Amino acid sequence: MAKKEFTAQENSVLKQMWLRSHMTFINFSMTKMEANCFTMTLMPALKTIYEADSPEMKDALQRSQSFFNTHAVPLAFIAGLTYAMEKDHAEGKVDTTTIENIKAALMGPTAGMFDSLFFNCLRVIAAGIAIGLNRQGNFLGSVIFILLYGVTQSIAKYLLLTAGYSLGTTFIDQVFNSGLIQVLTKCAGVLGLMMVGAMTAQMVGVPIALTINTGAGEVVIADVINSIFPGLLGVILLFVMVNLIKKGWRPTQLIGMIFIFALVGALIGLF
Amino acid sequence: MSTVGLAFKVALVYYLVTLCDNGFLSWQCLTRPIVIAPLTGLVLGDFHTGIVMGAELEAVFMGISAIGGSQAADATLASCIAVAYTILNNTGIEDGIALSLPIGTVMNGFGQFWQPLVYSPMAAVWEKEAVNSPNTFFIKNVCFYAIANLLNSVVLFVAIAFGVVGLNAFLDKLPPFIMRGLGAASSMMIGVGFAILTSMVWDNEIGIWFFVGYVLVAYAHLNTVAIALIGAAIAITLFFSHKRVIDAKNELLAAGVKAGAETGEEDFF
Repeated sequence: MAKKEFTAQENSVLKQMWLRSHMTFINFSMTKMEANCFTMTLMPALKTIYEADSPEMKDALQRSQSFFNTHAVPLAFIAGLTYAMEKDHAEGKVDTTTIENIKAALMGPTAGMFDSLFFNCLRVIAAGIAIGLNRQGNFLGSVIFILLYGVTQSIAKYLLLTAGYSLGTTFIDQVFNSGLIQVLTKCAGVLGLMMVGAMTAQMVGVPIALTINTGAGEVVIADVINSIFPGLLGVILLFVMVNLIKKGWRPTQLIGMIFIFALVGALIGLF
Repeated sequence: MSTVGLAFKVALVYYLVTLCDNGFLSWQCLTRPIVIAPLTGLVLGDFHTGIVMGAELEAVFMGISAIGGSQAADATLASCIAVAYTILNNTGIEDGIALSLPIGTVMNGFGQFWQPLVYSPMAAVWEKEAVNSPNTFFIKNVCFYAIANLLNSVVLFVAIAFGVVGLNAFLDKLPPFIMRGLGAASSMMIGVGFAILTSMVWDNEIGIWFFVGYVLVAYAHLNTVAIALIGAAIAITLFFSHKRVIDAKNELLAAGVKAGAETGEEDFF
């Protein structure tokens, strides 16, 4: 990865693009999703490439309004890449179909990759740490959550935006075809799963209140089960639900099932 | 202060936080229960309850959040209402937590009703705006969002000002097993979020790491920071050992291409 020196104009454009790329979900519609943010992010760049009100400018704006959806962080990367491609297009080196195709081709893989890095891994870790602290009444947990999960996204956005712009299309072939993305996703998955497992042990419980009178004294069923494997019922409940999700159950149905189970259980004295 | 005044404060916090995050940061971070619940507690005069509830609510809603625009429950609105319910009625935290998911589901249903009505027809308008008046596109987007975002805040205001005290009075009249059931449900409901997360990340090859994390808590009683560090060490080691294999494979492929041999892409995993 060779570092490219940016001109003063490029630097100011990239800075504006970075700030605007933070508006990913503004006026999000199911038809165009993040297109408005993409247009706004690209606009400072387009203004330096095309003349105002020229047909080329209108075409470029129209292109920027096509359906767009990915994770909030790689939006900056794709915008940086599009900046480079639009520049090449103005010089006649890249045609519009390539711009459209690369944008469309990158949405899926980047969304998957950054969901697994930020959403399923970093967020879970940050929340795990924050929950531990906040439970003790320490507001520091919330602050750490913002720093670990929020601020890091902004830093990543800046790095990816400049990387996308300076590396251009050559980069895509290297990274996406090398197989490293799958490895990265899998390793983030290991970390994410460990955290989910840890938090399941901390928080998920099936609080049954059954006791059996053996004559010699009361036996608390929950204690018996926990002595076999701590929190066994919670783990069983979790994997029953994982199976149901794989069978196509919606989260709302699971919530409904638990409510009915809990209310019926409370009525018959199970809880 | 009256309930109406407090409800206004909470609605204001909700408005500013959602405007800030959804509009200008896109972190999906400040709108999480762990941040908004303490803030709600702060304006209602009970910061401590807000902080503690933030932790519990974050656990409940951890897996239940928007991916690609669809979600099962609105964690932000639910957190505001659950904290307001607990503080204004002076009930235990458990009651507020138990009510948070049903409230979040109802609130989300409301959002899913109005958001397509407001935002979807605008998509065509925005396209024309972008092409024809690019200079005002930015400011128009900001203004439109600032106004559209008011809707949820107004609903939140009404729900807290006129709903939570009445809700408590209503629940008090119900037989005791109902609140006991809701309490039992709340610790099982945390499992729903974790089940969604698990099913997203799960892969038979790495599934065993779930139990490693579990055992580190259940038997070794480690805290989450320690487990995050252990997990990071394992993930980094795995990454580099896989990377070496891939690098070797790519080198072989490159050498094969140079020699003019046709080599098919192998699926490595």
